[in-house]
Amino acid sequence: MTGKAALVFVAGFSFIIGYISMNLNNLATQATSNMALYNQTTASHGIATTAANVGLAKFYQDTSWRGSISQTMTGVNKGSFTATMADLGGNKLRLQSVSTYAVPGAGNIHDTVEVYFDSRKRNSFSMYAWMTDFEGNVFWVTGDTVWGRVHSNGNLHVNGKPVFMEKATTSKGFDPKAGTGTNKAIFKKGYETGIAQIVFPTDLNEIITASAVASGGKRYAGEIWVTLDPNTSANNDGTAYVRSTKTGPIIDSIDLNNAGFDGVLLGDQKVHVQGTLDGNLSVASLTDVYVEDDVLYERNPQLVTSDDMLGLVANNNVVVAHNVANNNNVEIQASIFTRTGSFTAENYNTRGLCGTLRVLGSIVQKTRGAVGTFSGSNLTSGLSKRYRFDDRLSDPTVRPPYYPGFYVRTYAITNWWESYRIRLSL
Amino acid sequence: MAVILDIIFSLVFGGALLVIVLTANDIANENYSLYNGDVVVQEMLVSTAELVEGELRNMGFGVPEKKQTVLEADTGRIKYLTDLDRNGTIDTITYYVGDTTELLQTQNELDRYLRRKVNAGMTAKVGVVTQWRLRYITASGEVLPTPVELDRLTEIHIVELTMEVQNPYAQLRRTGEVEDGQRGALYSSSFWQQTRLASQNLRR
Repeated sequence: MTGKAALVFVAGFSFIIGYISMNLNNLATQATSNMALYNQTTASHGIATTAANVGLAKFYQDTSWRGSISQTMTGVNKGSFTATMADLGGNKLRLQSVSTYAVPGAGNIHDTVEVYFDSRKRNSFSMYAWMTDFEGNVFWVTGDTVWGRVHSNGNLHVNGKPVFMEKATTSKGFDPKAGTGTNKAIFKKGYETGIAQIVFPTDLNEIITASAVASGGKRYAGEIWVTLDPNTSANNDGTAYVRSTKTGPIIDSIDLNNAGFDGVLLGDQKVHVQGTLDGNLSVASLTDVYVEDDVLYERNPQLVTSDDMLGLVANNNVVVAHNVANNNNVEIQASIFTRTGSFTAENYNTRGLCGTLRVLGSIVQKTRGAVGTFSGSNLTSGLSKRYRFDDRLSDPTVRPPYYPGFYVRTYAITNWWESYRIRLSL
Repeated sequence: MAVILDIIFSLVFGGALLVIVLTANDIANENYSLYNGDVVVQEMLVSTAELVEGELRNMGFGVPEKKQTVLEADTGRIKYLTDLDRNGTIDTITYYVGDTTELLQTQNELDRYLRRKVNAGMTAKVGVVTQWRLRYITASGEVLPTPVELDRLTEIHIVELTMEVQNPYAQLRRTGEVEDGQRGALYSSSFWQQTRLASQNLRR
């Protein structure tokens, strides 16, 4: 009897202690498996990221590649992945990589990484300190110094030692070749020839659309005179006054700081401009823009921090008018763009000596225009040049409102997304 | 006489068994508490870490290239932009830690809530941490002083996250086990991790 009781006693104790041990083991296992699962999900994520990099490497070797690649890993790192490159339309592409990682007792887990590309990138023409589609037969000579990037779709002619402070590029070449003959140019940041042409826009549609009342712009059918007024010394309180004749009554007054105004002022005919800008504005014409007097920023970006930015955009020419105000030095602080014509001075070869033309900004023209004539290195008529790049424009995305731009072929990554797990209730 | 001896031996044997049972119970309880604490803390850490790591990796997703992604950056707080649900609308996410006084009801005097806010919505508690420290590193490897100045926020390329989670409930240690300056409670379940998170969207 005593022996049986002892057996029951021992068995009972064993059961209780065994049960407690099992529970403790379960808890310990839970703690371990929790961290193990984290490790496994991290591994799965790592495989997906690896797949994205494999896909990127393949794509950048051959940007025409579309389709999938798969790989199964053996050895210590088990798992597999598939990376798929697909066109999304609208110049967008997506690389999607999906990992598969086997978790014992829980089946397969997957992670996804998606990389988005844009096959082209929009740059503003204002990123160039100087750009021409055609240089004509004008030479860069000793004493010329350009701050900012220079580009021509044609040949750049050099005679002497001009200094290019930033990179200079041409779609054709230098005449003569750099470092030979009379070309002793100094390229502080190098040069490149034979690069793809930067195509000028075939119209000014973007700025025309922006000038519509519905878009928040201003458009005038006739010839107009625009006077920029900074008003007080406070920032962003400028006004643009519009007249239909030079000295006539004001027909429109535009508060440049008005949230409803998109910054575009367009004339179907000639647009004459002068004054001091406080704000952001593009003054455009479907024919020519005439600069009647100095055009300045209230805050000169060379001296102080400034958010003033002006674009002078002409379908044909931007012209420094031949008048009394411009007969003794002219200063223009703006980005200048001529779609089919030139930046030039009116009567540049007959107007007599008019001092210096100072431009702070960017000059982009279809055909290089003249502002004066020279005999040797002596100015015989018109204006001598002092052009300075506005460094704020070196960022290709910074531009006056709706200022013309161009697209470059690129496969820049625009977005990168990685899947993740949410165990919490948010 | 024999009966008396039987009773005495029974009492001794029974008493010994009782002591063994009580000791076993104590040990089982202690171990249960420790293991359970491990599970709780690890689950807290893993769920919080997965969320935070995942979201910070996607920081800047859908944000235009030249738009500033990180809006605020401090040791205990980060505010940034991302398209959270990939619907084309940019969301503002804020992570920040609260004060230790919010969790006075727990024994652990260091624990505090980690909160997450999306846009102007409700603030959600996404975890309880005892340490949460963010460091911000530029592309050149410079660690930016915190709070990061507004004009340097665009320089952030890597966010380093240090996170520790401890058991909110403690086992008190014996006086002899505690040295001067040490905390008087044993938080056996303490997990710490440090991750450098580089959102590809900050590197464009």
